[in-house]
Amino acid sequence: VPVSSRQAFPLPSLPRKQPTVLVVCGPAQNGAIGLVCARHLRIFDYEPTIFYPKRSPDPLYRDFTTQCEKMDIPFLSYLPTEVQLINDAYNAVVDAVLGAEAEAGEGREPCAAILATLKHIRIPIVSLDVPSGWDVEAGSSGGISPEVLVSLAAPKQCARRFLGRQHFVAGRFLPYDVQKKFELNPPEYPGTECVVALRTPR
Amino acid sequence: QEEAQAIDQELFTEYKFSVDQLMELAGLSCATAIAKAYPPSSFTTSQPTVLVVCGPGNNGGDGLVCARHLKMFGYEPTVYYPKRPNKPLFEGLTTQCQKMDIPFLPEFPAEAALIDELYGLVVDAIFGFSFKGAVREPFSSILSTLERITVPIASIDIPSGWDVEKGKADGLQPDMLISLTAPKKAAMHFAGRYHFLGGRFVPAALQEKYALNLPPYPETDCVLQLT
Repeated sequence: VPVSSRQAFPLPSLPRKQPTVLVVCGPAQNGAIGLVCARHLRIFDYEPTIFYPKRSPDPLYRDFTTQCEKMDIPFLSYLPTEVQLINDAYNAVVDAVLGAEAEAGEGREPCAAILATLKHIRIPIVSLDVPSGWDVEAGSSGGISPEVLVSLAAPKQCARRFLGRQHFVAGRFLPYDVQKKFELNPPEYPGTECVVALRTPR
Repeated sequence: QEEAQAIDQELFTEYKFSVDQLMELAGLSCATAIAKAYPPSSFTTSQPTVLVVCGPGNNGGDGLVCARHLKMFGYEPTVYYPKRPNKPLFEGLTTQCQKMDIPFLPEFPAEAALIDELYGLVVDAIFGFSFKGAVREPFSSILSTLERITVPIASIDIPSGWDVEKGKADGLQPDMLISLTAPKKAAMHFAGRYHFLGGRFVPAALQEKYALNLPPYPETDCVLQLT
């Protein structure tokens, strides 16, 4: 999964002078994927900053944190509640707070406060796998509205409610027999790409 | 060779990368480079069949990852893996390949002509940059056979059997070399058509520390074509 968390996010199109991106990481696997994503963004010459308030004790995820720190990716000690500060400092926010595994996660701190802030920002949000806070099947009313969704392995049910500009599928590692067994019908990845854009209603 | 080993050491001890992480990224680069240079449509065999020969160490592991991604990219890889380390990493990679219906040959094709007939490309994942000393069996015979095939060979990191710094004039002459992290000294002796750089994971600080002077990768690509 970490290999596939790179996203198609064109560098020249960013409005700010510095290609700054805020990566908000939750306490579980979705957050860990965010850490890996931040590292690759750095290699691609973006300037990611991470907010990772509740760190997993998992040694693999702790190593992901070390890799980011050693690559001079700053970790914020708090998330500004003033949304204008976020709008001004970053070009986009990567939402790696909660994934498909989260059930009651939305209600718990600090996720609830983070999501409350993210609901009001104006810059684009890129959600990893599931827009955080959405019910993984039913979607959400009143939750965050990401502009870009990157479904991992295959889109989740709630992706049908996604109304943003771009929907990608990433995570090109599912063996053919697993795809068949779960009737996933994933789209064809072009060439050697590890990301494929799906057509969105808009 | 020492520098390459030093960089690896730092990646593992200072940056806390796991071997799994870097091997996955390395193997993916190899498959990607191969797909760019030898697209399935370019094969003269009826299916895009590839023989991946994996050695006993990390280079072999890179080969297993590469085989798996080649399968995902639509190729028909077959693996020959005679000496398998007793470690979970390699056992896992082998299982992943087997579960994806990638056949593992019980023995190496006896003749070069047989390889030429069955496969459109051979991936040399036998020895990498840590290789030192004499080549032991079964790899010595394997390399002799590979020296006589006419289908192209893509070597991972170092053409197997070459001295890591000086090369080997009468050794394997691969058509493609995928240098991982940075080209090794032996790459200066590489005379094939395609030289790619892969393993896009070296942090800027390390690149500077070792004065790697790597050219920039294009956009979000994980490989860079050098020639």
